[in-house]
Amino acid sequence: MQRLGFMERGAPPIPLGLIFLGAFLIHAPLLLMKLPLKSYDTNFHIFFASHYSHHWFDPWNAKWYAGFSQTTYPPLPQQWVAIVSRLIGLDMAYMLVQFAAIVLLTLGVYRFSKLWVGARAAGYAALASILLGSEAFLVYSAGQLSTTFAAPLYLNSLPYLYEWMRWRNWRSLLKGSALAVAAAAAHHATLLFGSFLFAIPIVALAIIDVRESRLAHVGSFIIRTIFVTALVGTMIAVVLLPFWIALINYPVTQVPIPHPSRSNYILNPQWGVNFFLVPYGAMILALPFIFMRGSSSPRLRPLLLGFWVAFLLGLGGTTPVARMLLGRAFEVLTMERFAYWATLLALPFIGLLAEELIDRYKWRAVAGLTLAAGMTCAVAVSWASFRPADAEDFKVESVAGWLNRDGHDRYRYVTLGFGNKIARLAVLTNASSVDGEWNSGRMLPELTEHGAGALTSSKYFGKNGLDALSAILQHADRYGLKWVFMKDPYYEPLLVFSGWRKVDDLENRTITVWSKEAVPPATPIDSPQRPLAWEGVLWGILPIGSSILAMLLVLIPDRRWAGQTVVSDSDKAATMPSAGSESSPANDDLVLGRIS
Amino acid sequence: MTGSRLLGIILIIATVVLVVMGTIHPNQSGAMIADSRARLIGSASSPQDAVNNLMQQIGRRTWEAAYASLANKGEFTETEFVRDLNGNYGSLRSYANLDGFDSQPLRASGDEAQVRARMRWASVVGIFEDSRDLRVVRNGSQWEVAWPIVREAKVPPQVIPVNYLRWDVVYRGAEDDWGAQDVEAPHVRIIAMHPVDRGGGVVILGEVLNEDVVPAFVTVKASLLGSNGSTLATEDSFDKISHILLPKQVSPFRIDFRNVRLSQVDSVRIQPSANLVAASADPVIGIEGQKLTPLPDSSLTGSLVNQSGQVVNVAHVIGTFYDNKGQIVWVADQYPSRALLPQTPVPFTISLPADVSNKVGSYRVVASTYSSSRFQ
Repeated sequence: MQRLGFMERGAPPIPLGLIFLGAFLIHAPLLLMKLPLKSYDTNFHIFFASHYSHHWFDPWNAKWYAGFSQTTYPPLPQQWVAIVSRLIGLDMAYMLVQFAAIVLLTLGVYRFSKLWVGARAAGYAALASILLGSEAFLVYSAGQLSTTFAAPLYLNSLPYLYEWMRWRNWRSLLKGSALAVAAAAAHHATLLFGSFLFAIPIVALAIIDVRESRLAHVGSFIIRTIFVTALVGTMIAVVLLPFWIALINYPVTQVPIPHPSRSNYILNPQWGVNFFLVPYGAMILALPFIFMRGSSSPRLRPLLLGFWVAFLLGLGGTTPVARMLLGRAFEVLTMERFAYWATLLALPFIGLLAEELIDRYKWRAVAGLTLAAGMTCAVAVSWASFRPADAEDFKVESVAGWLNRDGHDRYRYVTLGFGNKIARLAVLTNASSVDGEWNSGRMLPELTEHGAGALTSSKYFGKNGLDALSAILQHADRYGLKWVFMKDPYYEPLLVFSGWRKVDDLENRTITVWSKEAVPPATPIDSPQRPLAWEGVLWGILPIGSSILAMLLVLIPDRRWAGQTVVSDSDKAATMPSAGSESSPANDDLVLGRIS
Repeated sequence: MTGSRLLGIILIIATVVLVVMGTIHPNQSGAMIADSRARLIGSASSPQDAVNNLMQQIGRRTWEAAYASLANKGEFTETEFVRDLNGNYGSLRSYANLDGFDSQPLRASGDEAQVRARMRWASVVGIFEDSRDLRVVRNGSQWEVAWPIVREAKVPPQVIPVNYLRWDVVYRGAEDDWGAQDVEAPHVRIIAMHPVDRGGGVVILGEVLNEDVVPAFVTVKASLLGSNGSTLATEDSFDKISHILLPKQVSPFRIDFRNVRLSQVDSVRIQPSANLVAASADPVIGIEGQKLTPLPDSSLTGSLVNQSGQVVNVAHVIGTFYDNKGQIVWVADQYPSRALLPQTPVPFTISLPADVSNKVGSYRVVASTYSSSRFQ
């Protein structure tokens, strides 16, 4: 059996160790500074992890929405944070898990890119992934741990699955399947939407390669593809069974919540900067190259089409495509993840571009590319400072302390003007809130009927947000809601006129505490959404188990392939630039021939 | 061009076409509130286009562009224009967002037209409407809006003597001995209660009296009981009441129950609760020029006059409407969008349902206020 190989030209590939070192040098200091804590969602993930650290086998979390199920959100990264937090605390555990995701991404990009381009270009692609604007944006500004954790696992899984589809390599099947399941256990949106964007081009690539090889049997290839799809699908169904139960029994039917990533970026240029310019950065300059080079090589066309679809989806409401393709999901998903996946799919092209520029312009190209990538990363990292999740940084320890003393935590609370600090507060306090940041997990009708996000930020959702806030305040008795912590005086008239009284103030009078009389103490909500005990056990074992299994399987050494790079004459004529001559556009491909 | 690059060119062209389509016909239902109305600002080639463009700019708070587009901008400054729309002194307008607008042509000639613009603003205590009849004039091929500026009244420098009652409360301290007597809660009483079936739900209308000699912070809760004594629903008066009642003061209240029919209700349990609070009679708000407007615009209009020297940021007017027999037929409220400056009348309008309007024989209006310490 012979396998695909690439004939390299020019300089040797960058060693992976050097790439990992680069990832360490760039991201370790930023993570040690806990920069992601400024982001939108980091505290949300830490809050979930905090619950797992205390109640590993009970996914029912009573601290938000008067109780909600964490089985509505795949748990893998948060569970790892919970485990590591036993040693180094929640914040640093988060940073460590995030760093592992970044390192895994470089490896994943390298392995994924090698399917499409040569090892040297794949090395450049992996190097570029360290400085990728969208990665930095998601890590330091959006705080999307799950997305950035799942994507590398998929990228590492796909080359194995490709090997299985093409060469029936059983070890690859095991490794690829385990990694794909672990990826699914890390993030549901990546599983439901992103996986197709990555997997379909790989299947198409395998089809192209099988047809070109003429030696492989197309029928057996199809059977292997169906088999692996069924296998992975079944494993994901089992590992995430409580998630599917929650999703099927309680689908997300609430009134859609607006999100700026779904707006038109031209009509709303501030969001265009946020969701297009910052994540793509200098990659925008490479777009013509991506389109031209992707279309000129048949073997790169599936990747180009995958990138194009992800690119259009990532443009949110700028084109009608996202709404048409995603339907109802368009109203639920946020679109920046599609831009992230688009940039990942573009990286093999970027590696190719870097290779050609460096071959042609030597150090000038190195300097230019480093500058462009560095600036892209720098802007994306610092974006959290330019557009902070919270306009004002403040401590919530005093609020948590107030709630935790004198029996105040017998009642529920809600905050106003706390932004994403509500997750940090929820970690610190024993009290339960009717608010929260995991919109898909909430079931209180006052929240699901109005199309607004967290109550603490009601005013940003206009009439819908204020209606939701009024509704929940009106039903304070029902939920044992006795305390309102107000940071933003905007809400003061509503509290005054609806019968709340100021009873205390904190943080040098910047936070006021409001109370309502005659509210009964909070009682647990008898919710049908509460997972059964066996679901909690599954939830505590299978997702984390899938990742441990994947790690063990990946440690099994790959079989040494006997085949060497073989270049067919026809491919060589079509793609190999002749030494010393200027390559024609049609000859620029690095993808050389192969014999299976 | 090689055939192999055709795909790339097609994809680039398709991307551009899709972006153009998405921009010319944006569908931004998923976008944030202010952005969801974002459209390409077209040329003001008709009076209504000019008004719509202006409304969009107001909605997106692009004040500079909105002001620049006006025909009569020489008559006032941009700051005055912004204050007209956005309010001042921490009024409801200060923090309101334009939630929607309609424009309706009233008349048009060759060079001038009149268009009515109805703006719906979302404030922290609910929606309020602002209707303006806009004169639109032609300027070359374009139409421009002449904005009917409403300037905030300026209060002349003066001294306003205040002589009002104030109640302070000294509560039992946390370190006092166990069993030490605390101040007693004030006595309040429900003096009227009338349940009505309305809009697919039940509405409890009533009045509560503070019969004590100290101020009370009052909340009224009601439970609807079924024939077997079970509780069908429990709600409270929320903001349809004046919560702070001075001695002998009466407040109307309204409690809304959705999705319960009066026919299901066997009895109503009303639970007023009162707490002693520090309070003062200041600021005193006078209610002047009350007038009941008949159908089709059935409403109660009047004006509020702040008789004290401090600014009232937000006022709340609650009207109680009685039939000729003296029974309560409706309770309605309104939050005027502008702040109450000392000695300066601010109009209010309490809308009435059409079917209630015919029954009203008399009415009574009370006002409660909110003054932020930041503005005092």
